[in-house]
Amino acid sequence: MSFIKKIAIVGSPNVGKSLLFNRLTGIYAVVSNYPGTTVDVTRGKAKIGEEEYEVIDTPGMYSLLPITEEERVARKILREEKPSVVIHIIDAKNLERMLPLTFQLIEAGLPVVLALNIIDEAEKIGLAIDLPLLEKELKIPVAGTVSTTGRGIDALKGRIKEYARSR
Amino acid sequence: MPEADDTGDILEISLERIENLLKGDYGISRRSVGLLLLQEDREIITLVKNHEPESFNRIKEIIDRTKTHYREPLSYIIALDRQQEASRIAGEVIAHAPKTSLSLKEKISRMMINPISGIPIMLLILYYGIYKFVGEFGAGTVVDFIETDIFEKIINPRVTQLFASVIPWQVFRELFVGEYGVITLGVRYAVALILPIVTTFFIAFAVIEDTGYLPRLALLIDRVFKKIGLSGRAVIPMVLGLGCDTMATMVTRTLPTIRERVIATILLALAIPCSAQLGVILALLEGHSLGLWVWLGVVGLVFLLVGFLSSKILPGGSPSFYMEIPPLRLPKLSNVFIKTATRVKWYFTEIFPMFIFASVLIWAGQLTGLFGLFTNILEYPVRWIGLPDKAAVAFLFGFFRRDYGAAGLYDLKKAGLFSGNQLVVAAITLTLFLPCIAQFLMNVKERGWKTGLAISVFILFFSFSVGFAVNLLLNIMGISL
Repeated sequence: MSFIKKIAIVGSPNVGKSLLFNRLTGIYAVVSNYPGTTVDVTRGKAKIGEEEYEVIDTPGMYSLLPITEEERVARKILREEKPSVVIHIIDAKNLERMLPLTFQLIEAGLPVVLALNIIDEAEKIGLAIDLPLLEKELKIPVAGTVSTTGRGIDALKGRIKEYARSR
Repeated sequence: MPEADDTGDILEISLERIENLLKGDYGISRRSVGLLLLQEDREIITLVKNHEPESFNRIKEIIDRTKTHYREPLSYIIALDRQQEASRIAGEVIAHAPKTSLSLKEKISRMMINPISGIPIMLLILYYGIYKFVGEFGAGTVVDFIETDIFEKIINPRVTQLFASVIPWQVFRELFVGEYGVITLGVRYAVALILPIVTTFFIAFAVIEDTGYLPRLALLIDRVFKKIGLSGRAVIPMVLGLGCDTMATMVTRTLPTIRERVIATILLALAIPCSAQLGVILALLEGHSLGLWVWLGVVGLVFLLVGFLSSKILPGGSPSFYMEIPPLRLPKLSNVFIKTATRVKWYFTEIFPMFIFASVLIWAGQLTGLFGLFTNILEYPVRWIGLPDKAAVAFLFGFFRRDYGAAGLYDLKKAGLFSGNQLVVAAITLTLFLPCIAQFLMNVKERGWKTGLAISVFILFFSFSVGFAVNLLLNIMGISL
């Protein structure tokens, strides 16, 4: 039995989950561009503030109602490993399409932090997202990130730190 | 919570009643469990059945009653509701800067998915990426250089000389530097033949992967794949199969149903040549462009036909397919490099020992006469499809690694032992022939003994039957390629 706190990274394939995992843990894994390649579950350690966490890169999921084996595995991790923080990472460009999973995670009573990833590409195509307003609507912490360059990762870590302390 | 707003009270009331009946710990909120129950999630239903034996029937009753109030499945109603809420929030928090026209990226992306422009683009990518780069450059230029200039001129004579002076016994000399020696055959095939071909393939694959083309290819191919019981999702294992079928068989795990996995496994074992094999086969058919087309046509036809038949025979419904399309990007050099390096390293460390092992096995098999026996047996079907007896050896090797076998044929071609027709028949049969030993083991591991073995036996007979048919057809029609 270990009492190390866990962070689970969840999200649909191809939104930069594995890269965010690498950013948090500093371990390099091969990053694939194709949806559904992350069949295995990757685990690593991260230090955020003074606290050490086990970070779990869960297989891609679209919904809490699973269709694929990957989704089933991801849900099992969420249900059974009792993560202290669940980072739901989404493609900021597709906010509208990806929010339903955020709802389901919040509804499940999980400690969700929303990471709007690839926010630079969203800006490039002319989308401006009001993060404070989104935070108010969802009542969970929200951060804008770019996992390929590392932009916003420190802010995300800050949100995780605050969040873990308050719970 | 979004569901509470306007789902209609029936769903909300039912949900509340289910919540009140749930007592166990499910790791997620009771509301969440209730919603999953209403959506008939099998895993959760079983879980609840075990956790709440007394109230399960009551819960089931509530679910069944709720369902009668809606025309659509409850999962649809719930999803729709969430989507509406998502749209509302997105509408509030996103400020759009108006976009006047489609960006260039978007235009290219659409062209890749549209069949009219997409199929030529796919052929172009396959032609330059696989045929030109892997086939001609990797399997041609680089292989020639390493094989002729490095092995034949420098390494082989020295090593032979060295062993001749160190080991006095002919038998053991043969183990290292004989016709099928560990160094002269095993190491040479692995380093001179397989390494450059696989490396160039992985470079091409990493570039294609990094641009985001694969999901678009998946959408393009989806309709054809649906006909053979697969979906666009199977594009990845299939394209990977052009690199290494063993690896691709492992990747069939990403397919959602067992039926799809079995079909994909059969097709990979049968009709998708791996890069090593592809390289050697392209080299084999070099200068016979007509032969290349016949080979491509027959193998393509087999792929579609067997896929179609197995989708008819195997039980189960058609797959559904839905996928995120990532943006097109210029490939990053560092990404391509790391992916290629990792994969080549993984692949090479996996196959190198097998080449050495195969060499030793062949040596031992020859010493004991066992190989002669197998070769003699195989000579019958080989003769049957109109090939010279010597080709039987290549087919036997083919089982240890298919590329090994193809490389054996390549040696025969260089010795001028094949006519055009025989080359094509040999190339076709060997493409379809039994998967290599590694893939056989992977088939068994992923699909179980029964299915894995059945697939192999089927392929053994099927490959020679097709070879026989092609040979017969060519002869009857008096065609010589």
